[in-house]
Amino acid sequence: MEVVPVSVGEASRAWDEQHLDLDAAATQIADADTSGFTTHVRGAATRFLAQWQRHAEGLGTVSEQRADGLRTTIADYVTSDEATRGDLVALLTYTQEVR
Amino acid sequence: MTTIQLPPLPRVAPALTCDPAAISACGADLLAASAQVDDLGTFVAGRARVDDWTGEAATAYHQAIAPTGRRADAMSLALRGVAHRVEEHSAEMQRLLDRRTALEDRQQHLAQQVAHLRAEVATTTEEGAAELQADCDRVAGQVQAYETDLDTWVSDLATEESEMSQAFTRVLGADDVDRIYGGVADPADGPLRDKPGAGASPAEVHAWWAALTAAQRRAVIAAAPGAIGNLDGIPASARHAANTVALGRDLADYAHTEDAGVLTDDERTCYDNALAADEARREIEGRHDPVTGEPIVAQIYIYDPAAFDGDGAVAISAGDLDTADNVAVVVPGFGTDGESAPYQADRAATLYESTRVLDPSATNASLFWIGYDAPDNAPWDEGYDGAGVVTESMAAAGGERLADTIDGLRASREDDPAHLTAIGHSYGSTTTGHGAHDHGLGVDDVVFVGSPGVGGDTDHASDTGVDPDHVWAGSNSRDPIADLGNHGWVHGETVFGAGLGDDPAEDDFGAHRFQAESTTRGGAYSFGDHSKYFDHDTESLANISHIVNGDYDAVQEAEHLHDPFLGPVEDPEYDREPTSPTTSSLTP
Repeated sequence: MEVVPVSVGEASRAWDEQHLDLDAAATQIADADTSGFTTHVRGAATRFLAQWQRHAEGLGTVSEQRADGLRTTIADYVTSDEATRGDLVALLTYTQEVR
Repeated sequence: MTTIQLPPLPRVAPALTCDPAAISACGADLLAASAQVDDLGTFVAGRARVDDWTGEAATAYHQAIAPTGRRADAMSLALRGVAHRVEEHSAEMQRLLDRRTALEDRQQHLAQQVAHLRAEVATTTEEGAAELQADCDRVAGQVQAYETDLDTWVSDLATEESEMSQAFTRVLGADDVDRIYGGVADPADGPLRDKPGAGASPAEVHAWWAALTAAQRRAVIAAAPGAIGNLDGIPASARHAANTVALGRDLADYAHTEDAGVLTDDERTCYDNALAADEARREIEGRHDPVTGEPIVAQIYIYDPAAFDGDGAVAISAGDLDTADNVAVVVPGFGTDGESAPYQADRAATLYESTRVLDPSATNASLFWIGYDAPDNAPWDEGYDGAGVVTESMAAAGGERLADTIDGLRASREDDPAHLTAIGHSYGSTTTGHGAHDHGLGVDDVVFVGSPGVGGDTDHASDTGVDPDHVWAGSNSRDPIADLGNHGWVHGETVFGAGLGDDPAEDDFGAHRFQAESTTRGGAYSFGDHSKYFDHDTESLANISHIVNGDYDAVQEAEHLHDPFLGPVEDPEYDREPTSPTTSSLTP
């Protein structure tokens, strides 16, 4: 098993941030106000917002999966025989999802 | 009996129910969300890469994230495109509403004419028939022209509605997005690559921006609002657009993070600053120009909620900084941080209203500038910023930033310079004094109000680098803060480094002192009088407004303070009866 540097843990946290931000974007899209459009346009606008909320959530889900994947990589490494004590101390904090 | 051919009644224009402002807000939300999606693409190409990680797992990871980046890039372009189309739709619907109002007026006028002609027919004689028919033919021609214009309007409305609907539906599915935008280069990439680096002058930044196409500018605003939102040399309208995107994104982010229960203390501080900036913008937009009755234009010139260790930086104007004849930059002082933005916005809007009332022929913009780390709290209360109020260190640092902001305002209007006035209030006057003395402020006038001193190195108006005839001081005789400045030969800043410099209202200083008493002044020193300089219908606001408007002859000057060698400082204004000039509304 190859060495897993601390930067992998930092990347997992950064993917978590992306997940939060994209979920926020999804909410922002869903909450966008369509009341200003004429009745002829409002239907298309509403469908667009609903669809794009899902698109943004999808990107958020992918981000979360990337973060989880990196955490799994870290967890596998710290439980392996290859990990040194220094690696363990540095990486253990990244095995848990913070946000 | 001659038969008269009457003109037809004009049709009534169909109702049009829409709200362009709400449409614009929807577009702003979509643009902010697109910036967030764009960030994912940027993240995948940059920080998501783990370059010191090698081996099969690392290779697999980097291969796996690449499609996510491409997908994010395509989706951000698609969402941005729709957001821009929604903004255009908002403007077009406003034009259609305006055109409908004009058609409605024409229809009513023509209907009245037709009714009048019908009444004429009943009473006309054989002799008058020819003339009446000529009138009927003329009106019939006008009705026909109206009907043609109405048909055009109906057609234009249908076209606009159809095109907007198509813009929504053409990128509904992920496959559509990939087909249209997959692999398409972001038009922002080239301009951002060529953007002048840190340390570039505002003039260099302005030259770069001026060379971009309109499409490139829109792309940069959407893709990287943080790259230009606070960049001196960029025109105010573009900074506003970029900062609006950044603010919208931040508000959505922080609200979501708070809902998720994972908002950190630092993020809470930034969120409060963002909310304050939003409230400040709404405060200005909710006020109306006293001359036109239209809502006052607000421009977010600086927005950085995390600046100065979380104190935040924000500057918002009442009025258009890019086009106004007269621009005022108001520098606040003690007690100011990002959360003060709504209070400062009220001041900026009040100054805007006053300048407009006192010279309706000129256009104006008033910018409140929380662009420096001001002493914002008492040291025994929240920290040590308050300690800075008795020294000049924060003013010196702020003065440099103020000079940069003034340079930016000048650079973005090289061909159409405004009459520019810097107004420093309280500790902000110390900051303004430092900006002028240490760096040179490219302003036409500088105004110090309620000043505790304008900096230890500025002993005379001429030391500001501004023509002393354009250096002004307003000092309420009951304002205890204004009494803190050095008088006579005593210089406080030489005593343990405390003190903020000379009182600019004193005779030795050489500035014009203008009347700044308040009809509600206290009988003795009152801290309340330190905060009345920007109140409507006060001597101070009227005189500041005249200076901002360049209407110097209208300024009511006051006798200076005088410090005799023996005895206390004498203020001739103390016993003068204050007046209350009208600044809040146009006098009939």
